[in-house]
Amino acid sequence: MANDILEKMKSSLLDLDMDATIENVNSIIRSDGTVSVQEAIDAISEALQVVGKRFQDGDWFLTELVYSGEIAKAAMELLSPLLAVGTSQQLGTIAVGTVAGDLHDLGKNIFINFARSAGFEVIDLGVDVAKEKFIGAVKEHSPLVLGMSCLLTVTAGEIGKVIEELINQGLRDKIKVIIGGACLTAGFAKDVDADAFAPDAVTGTDIIRKWITL
Amino acid sequence: MDFKERILTTMNHEEPDRVPVMGLIMDPTTVNQINGKKPIDFVGMLKKPLLKHIIRYLMNTNWLWSKIYDGNFSGSLEGAIKLGFDANWVIYQLMKLCKEPESTLGVAFHDIYGRVWELDADDNGNLMVNYSRGLLTTEEQWHDWVEENTPLFETSVKNATRFYQELTEQHGDRIFPFCYAAPGIFENSWQPIGFVNFTKFIYQKPEFVRKVIDFQTDLFIRHLDAAMKPGLEVVFAGDDLGQKTGPLMRPELVEKLYGDSYRRVAERVHAQNKKLIWHSCGNIYQLLDKFVEWGFDGIITMEPTAGMDLGKVREQVGHKLVLIGNLDVSYLLVKGTQQEIEDAVKKAIKDAAKGGGYILSASHSHPYVDATRLKWMVEAAHKYGKYPM
Repeated sequence: MANDILEKMKSSLLDLDMDATIENVNSIIRSDGTVSVQEAIDAISEALQVVGKRFQDGDWFLTELVYSGEIAKAAMELLSPLLAVGTSQQLGTIAVGTVAGDLHDLGKNIFINFARSAGFEVIDLGVDVAKEKFIGAVKEHSPLVLGMSCLLTVTAGEIGKVIEELINQGLRDKIKVIIGGACLTAGFAKDVDADAFAPDAVTGTDIIRKWITL
Repeated sequence: MDFKERILTTMNHEEPDRVPVMGLIMDPTTVNQINGKKPIDFVGMLKKPLLKHIIRYLMNTNWLWSKIYDGNFSGSLEGAIKLGFDANWVIYQLMKLCKEPESTLGVAFHDIYGRVWELDADDNGNLMVNYSRGLLTTEEQWHDWVEENTPLFETSVKNATRFYQELTEQHGDRIFPFCYAAPGIFENSWQPIGFVNFTKFIYQKPEFVRKVIDFQTDLFIRHLDAAMKPGLEVVFAGDDLGQKTGPLMRPELVEKLYGDSYRRVAERVHAQNKKLIWHSCGNIYQLLDKFVEWGFDGIITMEPTAGMDLGKVREQVGHKLVLIGNLDVSYLLVKGTQQEIEDAVKKAIKDAAKGGGYILSASHSHPYVDATRLKWMVEAAHKYGKYPM
């Protein structure tokens, strides 16, 4: 019975059916504990891993990735407040923002949706984030990972400046840095001493998941 | 052969005297660098409150907008002629400088479609403009926008017609102006609404999405007519359908939503006995067959940073499409050495130019593209691009 409703919820998400997914989530919430909230969240996370695989295999495209992320987000908005304090099984904290001078947020937001649904706590620093704000967030939240997004070649230099500042302030060894965005490449990541380049949100989440299991 | 004969021979997949070279010069940074002009520090002026008010007023007059915008593209063509290009693109856009509290400057350009373009300057004060977001996140906002901006759509079509005509008259005897109808139907559908919202609407409000696409198709066709008015044999249009790793949308969905629009565009161009070159950024291997099916005659861009390999594209489409582009603008034409540029030109020619049907160019315009490197690219094309190969 418990497995049935979880499977139904996963299927509706993978069928990109927002209404059916929300209905299934509400059934779980009304089930008086037959299925726990944590089990439902884990099932969403599993469904998103299937989404990620389909995207990476080229079977799904950005529209499907985005919409499945939106469905997962809507489901999580219903489930998260019901988690008892302290029971949340967060995989770790990621701070992420779009670099100074760049106001694009599509890639960043897709990543955030995906990483949150995968079980990470994500601190969204927004767009046009100054170097000082990135450093401040690292000091304040001690995230495992700092993510920087950048669409424009003209602002890509900001990434190097933030990493340089992490080094200057003795923070670089305490944090992994991942970067992503249309104008960036793995070669650029190497040049600026980032730990990884993610060509898309799914790969980015996978890389971070591997880091925490090492 | 002159530039025109060279281009037209290539468009017919025949070998001209040498591989033609096209410029994608349009950014003020590059235009000013080539023409040895000092930039106007527009962004610096906008930082001063009183000047900001005056500039906003003046920029929003059709007279000054046209003077500045058309002047920049006139400079682009002059610069391209100076560097020895056979062709250069010219693209019309109409924007208004509007109050924008989210922007650092407090103002940003709003184009006629409902997109916000942020203003910035390079280290020398040259203006740089980038799309940042849409203004129309709900169906109601979109309908209101269309209703309120109908007069601006008319102005845009009228201005575009004059823009393409005058630039062709002024420069067309020395270079081929590729008149580019832009922005495309796909971009104009989603960018004013935002990609996430537009995606949601595809699944949740398909009838609204249909309405948006039909409206944008009609408006686009009017701008396409403006681009064809000067009577040149080749016209440009485009839509950024790809992202870094593949198409933004499943090709079947692109067909379902946009296939008829694109066929209509191609038929319109062919009805006037002209050829259509299509621009799309990103990784577009999965759409190449669709491009052929929709009736496009050629494509431009093939971004190496999105994994596009010219040789592979030629292998996939054969001579069903004319290919233009592929030279990298993330490093090669910004900081590359003369040797690296020569090697890249030789490789592009080897990969795609046999039998004609290839025009050498950068993969995209970019403010950081360096004039000297463009010159090296043209020189290398002249040196290594001679037919027969």
